[in-house]
Order: sequence, then structure tokens, then C-alpha cells
Amino acid sequence: MFKNYLKIAWRNIFHHKAYAAINIVGLALGIAACLLILQYVNYELGFDRQHARKENIYRVIQDRYDNGKLSTQWAAGAYAVGSAFKEAFPEIDDYVRLNQAGSQVLRRGNDLIKLENPYFASSSFFKIFSFPLVKGDPATALKEPFTVALSETLAKKLFGSVDVLGKELKVTGDRIYKVTAVYKDMPSQSHMHFEALFSFASFVQLIGPDNNPDNAWNWDGCLTYLLLKPGTDPKKLEKKFMAVVTQKNGESLKQYNADVKYYLQPLTDIHLYSNRMLEAGANGDGKTTYLLMGIAFFVVLIAWINYINLATARAISRAKEVGIRKAVGSQRSQLIGQFLFESALLNAMAVALAFVIILAVVPLFNRLTGQSISIGQLGGGMFWLNFLLLYIAGSFISGIYPALVLSSFKPIVVLKGKLVHTTQGSYLRKGLVVLQFAASLFLLIGTLAVSKQIRYMKKQELGMNIDQTLVIKKPIVVTDSTFLNQLTSFKNSLEGQSGIQKASSSTSVPGEPVGWNAGGIRLLSQPENVAKQYRVIGVDYDYVDMFDLKVKAGRNFSRDFGEKKGVIFNESAANQIGFTKPEDAIGKDIFFWGDTLRIVGVVHNFHQQSLRDAFEPLILRLFPDVRGYISLKVHAADVKGSITKVEKEWNRFFPGNTFEYFFLDEHFNSQYKSDQQFGLVFGIFTTMAIFVACMGLFGLASFTTLQKTKEIGIRKVLGASVNSILKALYQEFAWLILVAFVIATPIAWFAINKWLEGYAFRMRPDTITFVLPLLVILLVALITVSYQTIKAALANPVHSLRTE
Amino acid sequence: MITLEHISKWVTTAGLRTFLLKDINLTIKEGEFVSIMGPSGSGKSTLLNVIGMLDDADEGKYDFMGNQVHSMKEKQRSQLYKQYIGFVFQAYHLIDELTVYENIETPLLYQDTKSTERKAMVGDMLDRFQMVGKKDLFPTQLSGGQQQLVGIARALISSPKLILADEPTGNLNSRQGEEIMELFKKLNEEDGVTIIQVTHSEKNAAYGNRIIHLLDGRIEHPR
Repeated sequence: MFKNYLKIAWRNIFHHKAYAAINIVGLALGIAACLLILQYVNYELGFDRQHARKENIYRVIQDRYDNGKLSTQWAAGAYAVGSAFKEAFPEIDDYVRLNQAGSQVLRRGNDLIKLENPYFASSSFFKIFSFPLVKGDPATALKEPFTVALSETLAKKLFGSVDVLGKELKVTGDRIYKVTAVYKDMPSQSHMHFEALFSFASFVQLIGPDNNPDNAWNWDGCLTYLLLKPGTDPKKLEKKFMAVVTQKNGESLKQYNADVKYYLQPLTDIHLYSNRMLEAGANGDGKTTYLLMGIAFFVVLIAWINYINLATARAISRAKEVGIRKAVGSQRSQLIGQFLFESALLNAMAVALAFVIILAVVPLFNRLTGQSISIGQLGGGMFWLNFLLLYIAGSFISGIYPALVLSSFKPIVVLKGKLVHTTQGSYLRKGLVVLQFAASLFLLIGTLAVSKQIRYMKKQELGMNIDQTLVIKKPIVVTDSTFLNQLTSFKNSLEGQSGIQKASSSTSVPGEPVGWNAGGIRLLSQPENVAKQYRVIGVDYDYVDMFDLKVKAGRNFSRDFGEKKGVIFNESAANQIGFTKPEDAIGKDIFFWGDTLRIVGVVHNFHQQSLRDAFEPLILRLFPDVRGYISLKVHAADVKGSITKVEKEWNRFFPGNTFEYFFLDEHFNSQYKSDQQFGLVFGIFTTMAIFVACMGLFGLASFTTLQKTKEIGIRKVLGASVNSILKALYQEFAWLILVAFVIATPIAWFAINKWLEGYAFRMRPDTITFVLPLLVILLVALITVSYQTIKAALANPVHSLRTE
Repeated sequence: MITLEHISKWVTTAGLRTFLLKDINLTIKEGEFVSIMGPSGSGKSTLLNVIGMLDDADEGKYDFMGNQVHSMKEKQRSQLYKQYIGFVFQAYHLIDELTVYENIETPLLYQDTKSTERKAMVGDMLDRFQMVGKKDLFPTQLSGGQQQLVGIARALISSPKLILADEPTGNLNSRQGEEIMELFKKLNEEDGVTIIQVTHSEKNAAYGNRIIHLLDGRIEHPR
């Protein structure tokens, strides 16, 4: 029986090559697109799943409140949290603390090697997380002070081998650490990427016996992960945290009228849903991931609809076969089986082709989108599961409706040639086409909105000038007494160079989050309990000038005043500390961690970060000799020459140090890289979706015009012109697209606004965002159907009427 | 073999009932060769379709070899039908995408006949109709007479007790028509197959041993 089905299916494909090609290519494109996206989505969804106890690992996150208002949200919290909670709640099995070890530089002979993102980790790290060790014992690895665990790559880089247990490392401050473990490099699907982990016990020693982390409720910055006993309800547990916090730290919080709330965040949620301060690294974006998933679904849906449309449109030519089969004894179920089998066969060819397409485009896809899907990864179980699911779902979803329609024909009706197309069927086909175009329009509107938002963000006035700005990263020289002087002399020597207009050093430069967050800041005249949190940048005298910040009230820092204790607020900060008019802030003294500093000026808000982020209360604090980035304004005429000069000076002042620099405008715009990639991915798949939809439309147009041949013939005989016939034919398709537009617009409107919520500064979607896609789709669709309709309209009616 | 009692069939248009068949009472015994005649629109084909279970009557009783067809479900009817009845059409109705061999084989597929058995049966049939050389051709490569032979071969493959033929020679020239009629006669006489044919031609009707005249959906009884 199946052999017979196979034969007839194959011959049908073979005899109607164009029809089959449209179907197979359309399905293949849809499936390929869907699989590629799903591959990416799976990757994003698969973070931190390698840990054996992932279900029971939670991170303690904190929300800080000032005067009952949410001020900052942190991934890290107080150091004492781990031990205090463990002591208070038997549900907690174990905890691990992690904190940034700052910039650590290793000495290897004369070479200096800077560690990327090193952390201190307490001894339970390798017990709680399943990062396999190549060498060493997970139970004891990070127990002792001044021990360190290295990643395999780092160990090989430093020692050329992984047999390094007991070897010694000399880091910043000439501190010696002993290697006690080597771990396999942390996988890319992990929210933690540590090259080296120093034992937390070292940190305890470094801060001295007066500072016990177990009692440290008021200094932040510690990532705490809890291992809960199996079966613990995290929601119930986190409700009990408040009592402990109040008991241990209530007094102090009350004094500042502040509040801290701790929550539990599942380990596996961190990558997609966490974007807090002091994350262990940059995380992904759940919203984008799910949006992409939606796109994947749309694309494959469009392809399936093609199949349904074409198959039912072709039903008439299959009707006779159905009639005969029924007349010779076939049951309906057998016919359904046959047509499902055909759809399964076509889908099989489509998935095979899809696989070839994927293999061909993966490198291109990776390059365009910055993804790293490898061919090897495609072999993963998830990939094949998706592959299989798409195949089975596709065969069934695309096959079942045509099968039901075809198998329902009554043999005596079709065998007498009485079957004409049913209005019901044509309504359904129209409905499906509308759905396809609604999906295409939705995607196109989305693409436009994304690119518009990116353009908007790039074009917006930043409130500062970052053009022609060269930024040099600070040297990684181990601190010594002459360092500060050296840095200042270096800066001064540059200022004298021709081609360099300005120079300034600061702890942060625009285009990245400000790393320094300070709490407890208030006006000297205010009580302690109104103190709030601010972002702080340490700057020299030239910073405001360098970036062309606009002073709104007061003045810039000035060497003439010989001031050392000045601060400049931005408007948000002035506002937050209590001034509605910036002028009022001038000359007021603030309390800053025991220091008294005077507000000398207020600058207009400027975009320290991308326009995704809102303005934050920001304080520029004057440190005449601040160390950090050195920004240089160079002449546009001879950028290359300037760089060479700067490098020469660098090598003179800091021999042995690599000269690392970047251009600030590029650095700033790189914040939009992920947005741009998202826009690109969106665009690529939208194009594919529209292409597939048009293929279907082409097929459908051939059938409908075929059906209308007689009508067109009669009209022409009655005197209709070619133009009027074309108009009538076009009108029909144009209507469908207009209906699709009416459906797609509100949904797109809603989705765009939802997406824009993630941006503090957003464009307003205008009429063009919606109308342009409509025009594009109308045009593309009309071109698609033109071939068929013009052919039909030009045909000599004698032929079409004679065939009766 | 077949007993029709008070069989009526109608269509309703604008509230008006138009009878396609009206109060048909008919008994056909096994081994008969019956010709149904009548002008266009008299209900010949409808009657044949009702007998062949391709169509339902709106009223009346239909007994086929002891089975109450009018009260059966579609599935049972289909079972009964594919076991006992073979259909021959005026327009042949072969599946264009299948070869001669495969067309003849199709009914067997729906009866779950084993593959080796199928081979033998189709082979016999091809022999009998002297079409062995044509078995791999597609219907469009055959003449009308040859196509109809394939259609008959297909109807006979499942050794039906009853053959229903709707103007089987309508699209054929007279020589081909005669051959088909001779074939029917031989099947009827030698193999004992019951045959009911619809025909316009007196000459073809004469091959049978009984003629039923239809007019406006009623059986005209010889006066």
C-alpha cells in the first residue's frame, strides 16, 4: 500500500514540478529559518544547565530602597548574607560567596599578564557548582588563604601544562598565591566566566581581622549563591529573610531611612532575566530570545500555510483520483492516510533541503549576527529533536486539512465532473493568505521599528562630545609611589604635543556603566536618613571641558580656585538630592563618606550610556591626579600621526606595558551592537518570510487565474479591456493585503511598544513605520501575481471558451 | 440478489421537491444481465449509483444479498461494496498517474490482498485481456477502447458478483463497443457475473436478458 502511495506521490511531484518546487523550497526555507533561530534560542535557554544541583541553587539578589523608593537593584549584596541565612534557616544546605578581586596582574619574569575578571570564591564553590576539576580536590581547593584555582587555558598559558598544583603565582602587591586546583574552562553557556578564582579566605586575610565578612551588613558587593535542600520552596524561604535582615541590620537601615530586600533568583534564570548591578558578567536578554522564537514560529507557519493553500487549490485536479479510489473501494481514512503520506514525503524532502540550506548558510549567519553556531553543535540532541518535531508537526499541520478536504469528495460528484470550487474552500484559502500577509506585515513593521529605534538612538544629541576622542587604558604597572606622578607627567607631556588638543583622565568614560556606586550621600544640612545612592566618576580638572559637558548652573572645576574638594552634579543628581532649581545647589556642601565636598556646578544630563538606559544621578568628583582612562582629543587631520606620537610617549613612560587604546565614538556605538544584530536577524528572517509568502501567492495566483480563465474569456467577449480585467484581478489580492494590514497593525503596535519599554529613550513609531511595509508588501505581491494575471488577461478568449 | 422497495430520491430547490427516482421497486436475481434504458435525465445513472452504493436513496429499502443497505453505516457499506461490486464508467476513470498494471491492482490494495497474490491476480487479468505488453503504459498512452478494457479489468480484479456499467461504450467507436459487449456477455454466461448496464443503445441493450425502461424517475412497466 505504501509503495503505491509513494509511487503516486512521487509521480505527482514529478509531473507538477513547479508546484512541488514552490512547496518544497518554501517549506525548506521556513524550516531552515526556524531551525536556525531555534538553535540560537536553545543556546540562550540552555545557560547554567550543566550544574548537577541546578534546581536547588539560587542567587541572593537585593533591591535597595531610599525613603521607601526603589533606588538600585543588585546582583550582589551584603557579605554577611550567606552565613547569616545559613545559620538561620535549616533549608539552606550550603552557600558560596564570590566577590571581584579587582584588577590583578601576574608577573612572569619580565612579562605582566592582566587577569580578566578575577574573583574571590569561598571554599564551597566547587561543591555547589559542577565545574569539573582537571587537577585538585573540589573539597579543599579554595579552603586555605592565598590559594588560587586556575582555568585550564590560563594554567597552560602561564605554565605550559596543567600539572601545576603547588606552583606559586605572584600577583599585584607581590602577594604569593599557591595553585590548588585547575578547572576545565567554564563553558560558554554559563553566566560565570572566571579565568582564575582566588580563595575567599585570602580576601578575609587581606581586609584584616577587624573586618569580619560574617558581620558585614553594610558593605556590598558580594555575590551569594545558596544551595537549598531538595524540596525547599524558595518563595516561602525568601519571605523569611526580612526578619533576619531587620534583626541584624535594622537599626542602621532605619538611621538612613533605607531598606534592603533580598530575593532568591534561580540559577537558571540569571542569564536571561537578570540585568542588575555587579553581575558577574554580561547577560542575555529574555525578551529578545522570546521575540526571536515568535519570529521562528511565524516563518514556519507561513511555509505551512503555503502548503495548505496550494494543496487545497490543487484539489480539483486531484478530485478525480479521489473519486476513482473511492469507487474501487477506498475508505475515507485510507485516503486521509494517503494524503498525509504525501505531505510527509514533501516535508521530508523539505527538511532534507532545509538541512542543506542550514549547512550552507551557518557561516554567513554567524558572521552577520555574531552568533557562534557551529556545524558540530548542529549535531546536538536538541537540534535533532527540533528537526524531528518540525518534520512531524509540519507533515501533520500542513497535511491534515488538505487531506480532509480531498478525502471528503463524493465520488459520483467528482466523477461526473460536477465539482466546482466551493466558496467555503476559497474563503479559507483567502483567510490563510490574509494570515500569511498579516505575519509578513508584522515582521516588516517590526524590522522597520527596530532599525528606526537604532537610528534614533545614534542620532540623538548625547549632551556631550565624543568625536575625535582617543582613550588609552591605564597601564597595568604594579603600583609604586612614583606611579601617580608618572601618570601625571605622561598626561602633561601629551598635552604639549601638536595634534592633541585636550587631555583628561577619569575613572570612567562614556559608553559604559559607571563602576562606582556610592550610597549614604546627602547634603551636610540633611539628616542621615535621607541619604541616597549616586553614581560617581572621579575626574580631573579637564573632564568637563574634554567632553564638552554643558554647565547649567555654577561653574566648571578650576585650577585657579585651588579647590580639591569639589563636585559637579548632573541635573538628575541635583534633583535627587533635593533641588528643583539647579542654581540652588551651587555652593552647598555634601556629605560623602566622611568627606565634605562642595557642589561647584550642575551640568545638563548627558548620556553616559546608550539611550537604552535612563539618566542616572551622577556626581563628578574632582581628583586632580585621578588614575584611570586617559582621554585625548586629537585633530581630525592627522589621527594616525597622533597615535604614533602617543604610543612613543607611552613606551617612554611605561616600558613593558601594552599600549591599548580605542576611539570613544566607536566604543560608545558598540553598545548598540546587540541591537543592530537583533535588527539584522529580524530583517533576514523577515525577508525570508516575505519571500516564502510570495512563493505561495504565486502558486495560488496561478490556480485562481486558471479557474477564472473562462470568466475572463466571457468578459473579454463582452467587451472588457485588458486593463479593466487586470484591475479586477489585482483588486482581489490588494483587498486581502489590506485586511491583513488591519489585523497586523494593532498587534505590531502593541509588540513594538512592549519592546520599546526596554529603552529609556525611544522613538515614537509614526505612520511611515506602518504604511511603508504595507506599500512594500502590496508592491511585492502585485509583482508576484502579475505574471499570471497579465498572461490570463491577454489570452485570446476563443481558446479559453472553446475548452468548455 | 438485489431487492429495491419503494426507493425514492429527490433534490429540493426553492422548497420544491424534484424527484430523481420515484417509488422504484425492482428485483434482480443473481446471474441476470440487465440493461437500464431511458432518455437523458430519466434517472438511469442515479439508479445505478444507488444500487452501487455510491449514492443514498432518500426513502425506501435496499436489500443486497441479505444485507439491509439502507440502514448500514458508510464503513460497512464500503466493506460490502468492495467485496461484491465492480464499477465500469463511461469515461473509464483511470488514475492518470498510475500505469495499467497499477490501475488494475488498486482495488486489491484496498482489500489488503497479499503482494504475491496480487501479482498473480493482476498477471492473470492482463493475460486474459491480452494487455501484458501494455502493463507499464500510462492511461493517456492508450486508445479509448484499451482504456475501457483496463477499466473492466480493474472492475473484475476482485472477482465481483455484480458489475455495474454506466454507458460503458459511450465514448467508444462501434467496433470497440461490440468487443466490450461481447466481453460482458461472456462474463455473464461463463462466469455467472451479474451485470447491470445503463445504455442508450437498443443494440447494446439486446446483449442483456432483461431491459428496464426509466422515465422521469419511474420504472415504466410494459403495458
